[in-house]
Amino acid sequence: MITKSQLLEPLARLRTDQIVVTTMGVVRPWGRLSAHPFDFASADSAMGHAADLALGLALAQPQRRVICLNGDGSMLMTLGTFVTIVQAGARNLLLFVVENATYEITGNQPVPGAGRVDFAAMARAAGFARTFTFKEAEPYSTALPDLLALDGPVCVVVRTEHGHEPPMSRRPDEVPCLQRSLAEDARRLRAALLDATARRSETASPG
Amino acid sequence: MLTAARLVTELHRQCVTHVVGLPDNASAALFAALAHDEQITVVAVTREGEAFAIAAGLWMGGAKPVVLIQSTGFIESGDALRGCVTRLRIPLVCLLGYRGYRKLAAAGLRPSLELLTPANLSRPDQDSCALLFEPTLRAWGIPYDLLSSDHDLSRLTAAFDRAQAEETAVALLIVEDTE
Repeated sequence: MITKSQLLEPLARLRTDQIVVTTMGVVRPWGRLSAHPFDFASADSAMGHAADLALGLALAQPQRRVICLNGDGSMLMTLGTFVTIVQAGARNLLLFVVENATYEITGNQPVPGAGRVDFAAMARAAGFARTFTFKEAEPYSTALPDLLALDGPVCVVVRTEHGHEPPMSRRPDEVPCLQRSLAEDARRLRAALLDATARRSETASPG
Repeated sequence: MLTAARLVTELHRQCVTHVVGLPDNASAALFAALAHDEQITVVAVTREGEAFAIAAGLWMGGAKPVVLIQSTGFIESGDALRGCVTRLRIPLVCLLGYRGYRKLAAAGLRPSLELLTPANLSRPDQDSCALLFEPTLRAWGIPYDLLSSDHDLSRLTAAFDRAQAEETAVALLIVEDTE
């Protein structure tokens, strides 16, 4: 099993200008590692839809890679999203399924099929050309630089230890990514992406 | 008559970039008209709740999406709409096929909370989704209008204006099949 730190710290070190969408049990740990303008915490929103939201971002920003750190309980809620992602042809989407086998932030109740469901096989069956499953930290951190460079959609299942994150709310004493309202955060990300896109256009066509 | 080609022209005029949804009889002609459109990309979903979260992501990424689904799928999508659109104040126009509208109109029924009795909701001559649709929209705080023919297409402009001004989802209910 991989700890959350072993999952997130190498990713935070390697991340450059990708959009990173987090949800549920990884929101706070990622928020402690990263305050990048292209981070978005799908928290206090609708459980099960972080991967859908990431797909929308990937389709709107095809020149930029999008990383979604989804949970296994969240993935089970919208398994059809595997099919939707492939159908949409989102080659810039890297979908992580953080498999801790529980609904962590509500108290680690087991998810249906815990330990038996093969998310990578489901993704392959839906048409993902590249799927990976990691159970140990070293092979994961070794493979990560290549995973981040692959054409997608890519599905990376990471079997992690149980965490103990309590329920989330958006308030001033939370990690920075939870200090703004969802509406404010959505506008902050949109502005940052539009600004980056405009800068890229200026660079591409000088004069 | 509600003409798919006219609707597409209006969507172009509004600079819509993506139509996210799942087809039904009412929208089939519209989806067909969009299939090879060069300005608008269709994103096909497997369940309607996905559409609202995808649309939210598209908007955050700088695109201008529209959701196109049937009323049954809309009712199924409650939490996705609440959590991914209303909560984020995404300006979003939703084109929603109004299943069962003709039977409702033929029986002279105007959807209301008072009509939502077990007896009415199990009537074999009515579609319970039609009885629930408008009360659900009202309960979820979604402003809406009807779209029954090409004469109503100005309502599309009004819907986009309202969605933008109030940072909300606005629904247009398609009561006739597009042709």
